[in-house]
Amino acid sequence: MVNLKVNGRPYTLDVAENERLVDVIRYRLGFMGAKEGCGEGYCGLCIVLMNGRPVHSCLVPAWRADGAEIITVEGIGSESSLHPVQRAFVDEGAVQCGFCIPAAVLIGKWMLDKGLAKDRETIRWAYKGLLCRCGSYIRFEESVLRAARGD
Amino acid sequence: MDEETIRRFEEILKAREFYVVGKKVARVDALDAILGRPIYTSDLLSDRVLWVRAVRSPHPHALIRSIDSSATRAVRGVVDVITHREIPGVNDAGSLTSDRPLLAVDRVRHYGEAVALVVGEDEVAVDEGVAAFRVEYDPLPAVFDPVEALKPEAPKIQEEGNLINHVKIRKGNVEEGFASSDVVIRNEFRTPFMDGMPMEIEVAYAYLEPDGTLTCIASMQNPFDVYNKVVRILRLPPERVRVVQAATGGGFGPKSDESPIDVAAYAALAAYRNRRPVIATFTREEAMAVQTKRHSFRIVNETGATSDGRLLAWRSTLYLTNGPYYSKGHLVIQRATFHCTGPYEVPNVWADGYAVLTNNTLAGSTRGFGAPEAHFAAEVQMDILAKKLGMDPLELRLKNVLRPGSLTATSQRIDDNGLVMCVEAAARLSRWSERRQECERFNRLNGRYRRGIGIALLYHGNTLGPEGEDFAVVHLSVDQSGKVRLQTGLTEYGTGALTSLAILVAEVLGIDVRDVELLRPDTRAVRNSGPTVASRTTVIGGRAALDAARKLRSILDPLAAEALGCRTDELVYKDGKVMVAGDTTRSIAFRELVRRAIGMGLDLRVEGYYKAPETKWDRETGQGAPYNQYTFGALVSEVEVDTLTGMVRVLRMTAVYDVGKAINPLGLRAVIEGGSIMGMGHALFEEFVHVDGVPVTLGFQGYSIPASSEAPLEIVQQVVESEGKIGALGAKAMGEIPVVLPMASIANAVAHAIGYHIKETPLKPSRVLEALEELGIAYRP
Repeated sequence: MVNLKVNGRPYTLDVAENERLVDVIRYRLGFMGAKEGCGEGYCGLCIVLMNGRPVHSCLVPAWRADGAEIITVEGIGSESSLHPVQRAFVDEGAVQCGFCIPAAVLIGKWMLDKGLAKDRETIRWAYKGLLCRCGSYIRFEESVLRAARGD
Repeated sequence: MDEETIRRFEEILKAREFYVVGKKVARVDALDAILGRPIYTSDLLSDRVLWVRAVRSPHPHALIRSIDSSATRAVRGVVDVITHREIPGVNDAGSLTSDRPLLAVDRVRHYGEAVALVVGEDEVAVDEGVAAFRVEYDPLPAVFDPVEALKPEAPKIQEEGNLINHVKIRKGNVEEGFASSDVVIRNEFRTPFMDGMPMEIEVAYAYLEPDGTLTCIASMQNPFDVYNKVVRILRLPPERVRVVQAATGGGFGPKSDESPIDVAAYAALAAYRNRRPVIATFTREEAMAVQTKRHSFRIVNETGATSDGRLLAWRSTLYLTNGPYYSKGHLVIQRATFHCTGPYEVPNVWADGYAVLTNNTLAGSTRGFGAPEAHFAAEVQMDILAKKLGMDPLELRLKNVLRPGSLTATSQRIDDNGLVMCVEAAARLSRWSERRQECERFNRLNGRYRRGIGIALLYHGNTLGPEGEDFAVVHLSVDQSGKVRLQTGLTEYGTGALTSLAILVAEVLGIDVRDVELLRPDTRAVRNSGPTVASRTTVIGGRAALDAARKLRSILDPLAAEALGCRTDELVYKDGKVMVAGDTTRSIAFRELVRRAIGMGLDLRVEGYYKAPETKWDRETGQGAPYNQYTFGALVSEVEVDTLTGMVRVLRMTAVYDVGKAINPLGLRAVIEGGSIMGMGHALFEEFVHVDGVPVTLGFQGYSIPASSEAPLEIVQQVVESEGKIGALGAKAMGEIPVVLPMASIANAVAHAIGYHIKETPLKPSRVLEALEELGIAYRP
């Protein structure tokens, strides 16, 4: 049995030994914001926040999340009250194909939460674990800076 | 439609001031994206869904002696095995040419070719089923090099031979041109296979509706290509098949090509046979093996010029290495050959472009479609010529660029001044001369790092031109609330082009872009709108959107005129209202107008259509006008070369493009930045390697794409507007274009840094280091 909180709501689940956190989040709990692009920890599309930190959820066995608090893109804002990073992504035109955007938004939120969103150099290193083939990296940086400024 | 409406509409088109067009408006689908709401195909996966996976050839060329599926059928969870014998219709999955079977019959022609499908309860079952499948092969002689493949003794990959297209350009008298030249240079350039690598892997979900319709939801660029093949492969009545494009996580060409047909047909076949929903997808490695790659090119350019830098003659020989099936290779060579001289006026041109089948994995449509490779070879050639003549590279270019009245390599007359505008803006914004001198001063210190600045220019024939029927259909409907719904067979997969269509509609109807809703492309709801390729959505689709909006206006105008007591030509649609020109006190809300129209029983569903003029050129001489209009651009790159490691870092780029008319500036900015970064990857490290036809760079560990840390710190950009002949409001194609120049521009910058032009991409550390050592400037600590 694994107890975990996802987006503020507690869940108790029976998980298999080889079950991955990404599959639990997506297919058992229905939070489809987390995507999968390689299953090997390279692309970062499956990034979620676990106890406040970004993790590649394809590399985390579900049992490791026992007692953890998980945040997915569905858990940080809504249409009527967007998270500042989400607002900034819209205003900066950071969305292209959209597939990596949930992970990109979560990395931005984490930087804001930790007070890391100071300069572009720091932000671009934070995004190193996420591949965006559309090449929106500079837009991500500008978005996080904009959110940090509170524009 | 009455003449009056059309006339007034033309006035709107010519209006200097737009209300929505050219303003920084957010993408209509951005809100969904940042909330994680779009439904991508794999989000449909559930416990009751069957999986399907292909048994694939490990050989680049072999006869199939026998297959044995008995062990597979015994695997727990395997429910079905499908070979070519089980295909109810035609075994044809070729996107344009019917040369590629969905499942091999008696012969495989490339590594990874599908031989059979295993259907099972979950991924583990199909993986085990595939592993248990026995195929006996008799390997055949194979050929991987295009020049080898053209020799008479080479193995014949298709019945008609290995040469699938020979594109010719014969302009002027090239021999005379060379004879009158003071300087003649000849260089060979090479570019490797590359992978478009959309982040979302190809995936399709198929199920049977209660009424027997087979519905397929998939990640793709061209729903109608997929639809037509599914109908043919399953031999179903066309009305019993429905294809819907799900949110699509990147296209870049491969998703317009062969692999989306494969996954859709796999899912459809398995769903139809087993009467259950099926998901078909690839592993990342499998996707990279089977999706169409950017073709490898070998280009020899020979150029003659006067001592003061006037181009007199240009001879190009281009070899495109295709996979064993056509895909789009015969068209890619055409675009590459037409653009072989770069954007310069050369009086005498002779070019031969050959597209050649080999037993490498599939290659086909990839963002840029042959233009990045042609421009790399042309623009590095121009730089080498400048060096030979002792001229500044910018000066040499300005002397020869296409200006109004110039004739291209195909003798097409250029009417607009877009290119000169781009070059001048790029030189100014990048502080070209100043920065060039600064780099040279820096390099005189002879330290570990060297810096360089380089430029490259482009022209890009717009939209399909000779590559296919260039038309689009856009459907609009309005409901009681005044919301406008836009639906088309053109698809969104990243560039924001459908937002451009929404912007155009909002402009004509005077409403907020947020009141235009995009509905998913659905073959049951829309007419075929041609493929979403060739950067044609804004240009061609935009014209269809304008036509649809105009048709709505022709329905609404008489009502509005009556309500406001004015003539229809006095109406102004703006800010969600319809007003009388010059008297803003008289107005009616757009929503109210729509309500009245619906109350009167008027049908507010319209269909807009546009078809570009057909383009003509002569196949024997290549002379004519293959494209309706051209996009122009200039890209300056500044690099730092680490002479210890051979690593190249792009410090800054200055990108200027003539977009004709900027309709969606936020979208343009993202596409220009993103395309520049993608192109930087092509320039510096992307290389898809086959060894004897077997890919060795599978997965992200084998094939790198740019990460955030590798992106240039700064991409300065500007757009200039020199109205295009056919595009919506004069817009020119931009989706693919930013990926065309980085290879050439960065290679020229590296050459400025190290004093030598490397003629093969990628400019990876080992290759740069080799050059540095040869030049004696590798750093020894």
